[in-house]
Amino acid sequence: MPSSLEILVFLPILAALAIGFGAPARFTAIGAAIINLGIGLVAAKSYNVNIEGGAVFQLESSRVLLESPKLALAFGVDGMSLILMLLTVIVTLAAVWASPAESKIKGSPKLYYISSLLIAAGALGAFLSTDLFFLYAFHELALIPTFLMIGMYGHGKNRKRTAWTITIYLGVGSLILLAGLIALFVNIGQNDTFSIAEMIVRAQDSETMIPEATQSWIYLLLLVGFGVLVSLFPFHSWAPDAYADAPTPISMLHAGVLKKFGLYGLIRIAGPMLPAGAEKWMNLVLVLLLGNIIILGLVTIAQKRLDRMIGMSSVMHMGYVFLGVVAGGTIGISGAVLLMFAHGVSIALLFALAGSLRERFGSLEFDKLGGGLGKLVPKLGLLFGFAAFASIGLPGFANFAAEVMIFFGAFQPMEANAPLSFLQWAAIISLWGVVISAVYMLRAFRKIFKGPLTTTETPKDMSWNERVPALLLIVSLMLVGFYPEILLKYLRPALESLTLIGS
Amino acid sequence: MPVYYLEIIVVVLGLVMLMADAFVKLEDKRNIAWFAVLVLSVVFLLLFKVSWPESTEGSPFWKFYDAEKGSRGFSLFFKGIAVLTTIIVLIMSAEFRGVLLKYTAKPEDGAHPQSGLSEFFTLPVFACAGLMWMASANNLASIFVSLEAVTITFYILVAYMRRNVGSLEAGVKYLILGALSTGFLVYGFTWLFGVTGTMDLAGIKEQLALDSVNVTAALFAFALIIVALGFKVGAAPFQNWIPDVYQGAPTPITAFLSVASKAAGFIVLLRISGCFFGSGDLSEKVGAVFVVLAILTLLFGNLAALPQTNFKRLLAYSSIAHAGFLLMALASPITLVADGKEPPLLDTSIGVIAFYLGAYLLMTLLAFLVMTAVRNQQEDDSLEGYAGLAKRSPFLAFSLLVSMASLAGVPLTAGFFGKFFVFKLAIQNGACGWLIAAGVIGAAAGFYYYFKVIASMFWNAPAEGNDGPIPVSMPAKVVMVLLIIAIFAVGIVPNLILGLIK
Amino acid sequence: MSQDYTPVLIQIVIASGFAVATLIASVMLGKRAMRNTVKDSAYECGMNPTGEGQARFSVKFYLVAMLFVLFDIEVVFLYPWAVVFRENVANAPVYFWGMLGFVFVLFIAYLYALKKGALEWKS
Repeated sequence: MPSSLEILVFLPILAALAIGFGAPARFTAIGAAIINLGIGLVAAKSYNVNIEGGAVFQLESSRVLLESPKLALAFGVDGMSLILMLLTVIVTLAAVWASPAESKIKGSPKLYYISSLLIAAGALGAFLSTDLFFLYAFHELALIPTFLMIGMYGHGKNRKRTAWTITIYLGVGSLILLAGLIALFVNIGQNDTFSIAEMIVRAQDSETMIPEATQSWIYLLLLVGFGVLVSLFPFHSWAPDAYADAPTPISMLHAGVLKKFGLYGLIRIAGPMLPAGAEKWMNLVLVLLLGNIIILGLVTIAQKRLDRMIGMSSVMHMGYVFLGVVAGGTIGISGAVLLMFAHGVSIALLFALAGSLRERFGSLEFDKLGGGLGKLVPKLGLLFGFAAFASIGLPGFANFAAEVMIFFGAFQPMEANAPLSFLQWAAIISLWGVVISAVYMLRAFRKIFKGPLTTTETPKDMSWNERVPALLLIVSLMLVGFYPEILLKYLRPALESLTLIGS
Repeated sequence: MPVYYLEIIVVVLGLVMLMADAFVKLEDKRNIAWFAVLVLSVVFLLLFKVSWPESTEGSPFWKFYDAEKGSRGFSLFFKGIAVLTTIIVLIMSAEFRGVLLKYTAKPEDGAHPQSGLSEFFTLPVFACAGLMWMASANNLASIFVSLEAVTITFYILVAYMRRNVGSLEAGVKYLILGALSTGFLVYGFTWLFGVTGTMDLAGIKEQLALDSVNVTAALFAFALIIVALGFKVGAAPFQNWIPDVYQGAPTPITAFLSVASKAAGFIVLLRISGCFFGSGDLSEKVGAVFVVLAILTLLFGNLAALPQTNFKRLLAYSSIAHAGFLLMALASPITLVADGKEPPLLDTSIGVIAFYLGAYLLMTLLAFLVMTAVRNQQEDDSLEGYAGLAKRSPFLAFSLLVSMASLAGVPLTAGFFGKFFVFKLAIQNGACGWLIAAGVIGAAAGFYYYFKVIASMFWNAPAEGNDGPIPVSMPAKVVMVLLIIAIFAVGIVPNLILGLIK
Repeated sequence: MSQDYTPVLIQIVIASGFAVATLIASVMLGKRAMRNTVKDSAYECGMNPTGEGQARFSVKFYLVAMLFVLFDIEVVFLYPWAVVFRENVANAPVYFWGMLGFVFVLFIAYLYALKKGALEWKS
């Protein structure tokens, strides 16, 4: 009997298979996504938040595939993976629902829905695996669907080039990551297990821990590998084009969910297993994340197309998450995980709405869109306003709670009357990023939806097929924004146990 | 049943096929192939039922046929690879008959409209017997004889489409370079015999480990042998023949060459290099040679594959590239376990190579099956011909997608585990950084050229006048479905292959 | 050890020396510029030479020659077998049957060649 988590991971794959064999594509995909959301919520409900230390993962299942080295198809959740799992099921449902109807897809609608489902399955598998090998392997499940989807259904003349760029870039990134992970595996203990929990225990045991010099170069490999996947400056250049040119559901899933894998890996793997490496490269990460926030923030302002602007902004916001990761401590990591959730949902919402706009007006260039569209499509304008505010981090949305926690986290280790450390300086500079995002988001909103009307088209306002996913995302954002405890309670026991933070 | 009966059965099968063609009147000569597939399938099942001799003392036979306890599993595994490849190649050949007969049969002279077809089925069976013996050969003489049995069969098969210029050219190239490499091999063997005074591999290993061994002469012998075997497995800088011969040969034979012949080359390479790895002084130098070969092969195979526009040629370079990964496993020095325990399978070069070859068989044969089906519909194998395959035949496109993904090493396919184990072995055994870097560069380049095929199939529209559906015969379809399932199954449960090596 | 090879060296020197000496001698002793068409033509026992220098002959020769070589090898193997394993053939039947198997395989090949018409001259 498969466990609930196994069903969660394999249901989308089975649904994709069913579609391949002729099941109605949209119906099956949405059905699978709804069931998955249900399973995800039930799993969250049955997660015991009052657990005291000791047991790390819950709802565990394990099927041993190889004895030596020990390799198992093992799933389990702790607070962090639970939150990311919820993010995935929510965004998947929204993405599948927001996909165009079968009749509107030129080419094969089957492939369209199969790809979304496979990406979702890959993300779920990566977040829920408690085995290092499958954590990596599941993430790569998205590689081919993304490649095919951008090349076949993408927007713009450059879509083929974009598809190649993202594939090669991420392919190389994952290979570097793979080399780092293998090096990590080989250097921990007797190199005979891929179980993450066991590896962490060994990495923190003073007898079996990795020597500092080794930690240093392995951490660098992991940082570059994960950094490429999460578009850390200067490895970000694949991201904005890919998100701009990809079909809407792919952008939603990729920017909203899949990209979080890099951060997840850094917090889950690199942090606890290579504490000395993390410390050594901390300043480098701080410099890079400032690059994300300030330099790329300024680049975002200069964008002339809405989809590229949203893509850049998603790259920029990754800087805050990194800040939370570097700050560490209960508050910093909590803030980082919470922001991963909040950002995932809000960026998916922005891409969904941008997709709706493109469908109506054919282009997303600010100049071509003109202004005053708020009069034509008021509901779309209203929802876009919400999304923009959420993305900036206004109170009431999950993003706000998360960013506040991250900044608090950065100042937490400070002692009275001590001079500011580099971390705190970085946090202060990063605060300006909030201003930058306010500038570009509000400017975009004003340009598109306010002012005099210039276009002559008279499109319909949002249909229910567009409203449902958008509302689903907004409700999740506001729920967490007003009551962050709803997610934070899952994080607390996990943070105290050793899966998340070293010693 | 004694293990050597298997080879006998296969040889007798080949003889029966010859006689059947000569003396039985057959409308459709494919029946001969189906018969062979049936018998070989039985042989494949018999692999699990063989018995080994209690003792190898006494009978001189076992001086030529390996029955060591440690290597029995590997011998059987490689025999299995040979048999399985032959089965699939026969099915592929039956599918390929239309193209083949165009260049062989001459019905206007009153000959049978399928004349020449049955020999095309028979020769791979003989080659299979040679390959099976090679998997167990433990003596320079038996290695040489079995290797030549295979190579000479291939000389004929490569040039089989005798009215096709490409096939003839490939045949001549293969013949001349193959004969040259055989010369190197024999010369190397004589030197090895001169240094050690024995033809027996176990004896050679013993002699080479002695302090009194003439290191220079032994290394010279090794250099000659490595030239010959490097040629057989397609290692740079001895890879020049591969693209032309692969492109010119009939497609099923290309598949046979790229899987079975490579596997056989690696068994021999493993066995012979094992003798050299036994002594500390030699093993260091021999290991260095393998590192250099592996780096060259990885870089050449992968980088030269990038600009290819012909699918068959692309697969030829890809086969060089995979030889590079296999050499990378071979170049990682074998871990010595202190307390005399057997090291875990995946910590040994031979275990990793066996697994890799098993995975390689699945994905490569799948690609060639698709190529055979497409080739029936159009004249050439250029990548442009695969444009829009997703529309013309979703099944074939999906099969090729799976095969390419696995060859590129996308996780959850068999190919990924192969690469993963190779990298793990290399990093674990402290291989030099350049080798690992070359491996990473190679794997990254692989993403590009394998995905190029996928892009061509899915992104582009079919060319004008070349957009009809592509029929696939039932047996080929069944084999393809089985291969796809196997690729995914092994990609999740590697024990499916590892369990066979016992 | 190198002394063992002295005769080989002498052999090489004599062989190449003879060839060189003959060439030099023919140049020095022979009369030059005594050439004409008749002298340059091939000698055919006094007849006028006709046809190509390298006459083409039927591919059948090639086929038969190769089959001859193959079956000749059979005999080449039979002799040492009979001589070396004399005792064994008498005592252990496996030696006898082993050789018989070898001959049998070649016999099949012979049948095949016969049936396929490899030895037919006409057609």
